[in-house]
Amino acid sequence: MLFYFVSAPEHKWERQADAVLGIAASILLGCMMLLTFADVVARYLLNWPIRGGFEITELLLLVLIFAGLPLVSHADEHVTMDFIDRMLPARLVVPWMRMMHAICAAIMFFLAWQVWIKAGRVYGDTTQVLEIIAGPFVYFMSVMLAVTALVHSFKVFAPVAPRGPIGTT
Amino acid sequence: MTESLIGLACMLLLAFLRLPIALSMGVVGVVGYAYMRGWNWAPAFAMAQTQAYETGRNYALSVVPLFILMGNLVTRAGMSQELYRAAYAFIGHLRGGLAMATIVGCAGFGAICGSSIATAATFAKVAYPSMKQFGYSDRLAAGAIASGGTLGILIPPSTIMVIYGIMTGTSIGKLFAAGVLPGILATVLLCFAVQWVTWRDPKAGPRGERLTWKQRFDTLDGVGWFAAVGVAVVGAAQLGWLPADDAAVLGAIAVFALSLIFKGITSVIALFTLVMGGIYGGVFTAVEGAGVGAFGALIFALARRSLTWQALYASLVESARTTSMLFLILIGALMFAEFVNITSMPSDLKAFVKGLGVSPVVVVGAIMVFYVLLGTAMEELSMILLTVPIFFPLVVSLGVDPIWFGILIVVVVEIGLISPPVGMNLFVLNTLLPQVGTRTIFRGVLPFITADIVRLAILVAFPIISLYLPSLMK
Repeated sequence: MLFYFVSAPEHKWERQADAVLGIAASILLGCMMLLTFADVVARYLLNWPIRGGFEITELLLLVLIFAGLPLVSHADEHVTMDFIDRMLPARLVVPWMRMMHAICAAIMFFLAWQVWIKAGRVYGDTTQVLEIIAGPFVYFMSVMLAVTALVHSFKVFAPVAPRGPIGTT
Repeated sequence: MTESLIGLACMLLLAFLRLPIALSMGVVGVVGYAYMRGWNWAPAFAMAQTQAYETGRNYALSVVPLFILMGNLVTRAGMSQELYRAAYAFIGHLRGGLAMATIVGCAGFGAICGSSIATAATFAKVAYPSMKQFGYSDRLAAGAIASGGTLGILIPPSTIMVIYGIMTGTSIGKLFAAGVLPGILATVLLCFAVQWVTWRDPKAGPRGERLTWKQRFDTLDGVGWFAAVGVAVVGAAQLGWLPADDAAVLGAIAVFALSLIFKGITSVIALFTLVMGGIYGGVFTAVEGAGVGAFGALIFALARRSLTWQALYASLVESARTTSMLFLILIGALMFAEFVNITSMPSDLKAFVKGLGVSPVVVVGAIMVFYVLLGTAMEELSMILLTVPIFFPLVVSLGVDPIWFGILIVVVVEIGLISPPVGMNLFVLNTLLPQVGTRTIFRGVLPFITADIVRLAILVAFPIISLYLPSLMK
């Protein structure tokens, strides 16, 4: 079986940035778990459901997904098909991969731009119970998409190492 | 119709060129949408914005990260070791017994983990050394682990069922319930495959040692207490001493407490009963079940002292990354679905199939053949997300039960995961067991793929196997 070529994290700042987002994402996921569990317990044992609990879960999910996105791109964990690696001449595999990272960067920048527009449109929308303003969360999405785009841009030039494909199920 | 097919071809071309599948679907979705609106980009961009935002902000989808986290925690809690040991104690002395114990152990692990890759990976570490010790052939060992691993997504919880359920608006609780009987059928058929291999070549799977009944029941430490709690809960509710909900909650607390004392496979049974029983009985929703399951898995892992801070962090961050990766694919697929839905493809396909005048079972059978073939070459989740928006309206219009169709989809995904050359479970084994060659793994899974195809045929022929348990739900 063939291995993909992915970039190898070399710089200290790369690992630090990875750790910052990783810890943030872990805390968000941990909170989501505790909140959901506490909500069930509070509702059944104390007859006192957490007010607006599901709204917080929604926003946590939104932030979690987009905070994790740069991590996925950095670890080269997006699902891709690898047939082309076997068909290209060996010396072209890595340049080809770099070109695809450039395209990914362009798409991610485009998405960041679109979500930025969306953020302006829905800025004042509030959640029903707790009346949390949606705007900051949507701007955060946009910023994280831009960071993801930067990660892909960086990978156009970064050194590479082989690694296997990624499973989803 | 033509636009959709061209769109599909473009998407596959982009993916083939090695663009991430999520982005391939998204790009074609947005461009196709603009084309259908007469090259008007404003509605296409608005559609992209909405899909990115609404998909991320969807309460029902928070079930995905929570079940992934539960799976990652139990993987690190060493529960697979105990499951394997218990299954070995009961059936290890039979011919091919260790391979069958692997499959039964995988089925048990599948009941608390929704990922087939995690199941295969953990049993590669637990069962392979033991099979090697008894002189099992690499082919049988690899085949049993790879195919047993796929039970992880059929027996609830299951990531793929959750995603199918959300995409099609099918009840996740009912899908979970529907997976139980096909899961048992699958376990039995895979054990038959082991028997077939050892019948052809008895040296491939010699007998393990025979344990006494006392040793066997020792692996089930604490099962009596759990059974007593179960009887007490059901009894109290039936006799009207307590409202059913309160009885269930008290039972859940008792189960938690007992799991801290008894650390054998009973805690696996307890975790499964807690989460699935809660969802099945309507005590909580799928999201809440996932939250309770993840928290329960955390408590169990802590109780076994098998979870260091580092392992906890690794579980969390790995789950977060998998979540982001899955959601990007989901967002891309939803953009593609928006495009397909404004083309004439869904209605053309319906008209075409109705014109053929064949029975729904034939249509479903044809779709399954298509999936099995496509699954050999394509990544399974993307295959499902890409094609479900096209096939689902068709089969529903023919009166096919969405739950049954969902189970069949899970089964074709399972087959895809162990089909050479790109089955993901085969790759997992190839990475974790480098001493076993790729060709050996490919040849080893063939009897198990055959068993899976037999199972698919049985499930297509007898929908009742999938639909009996959900039909009992409220």
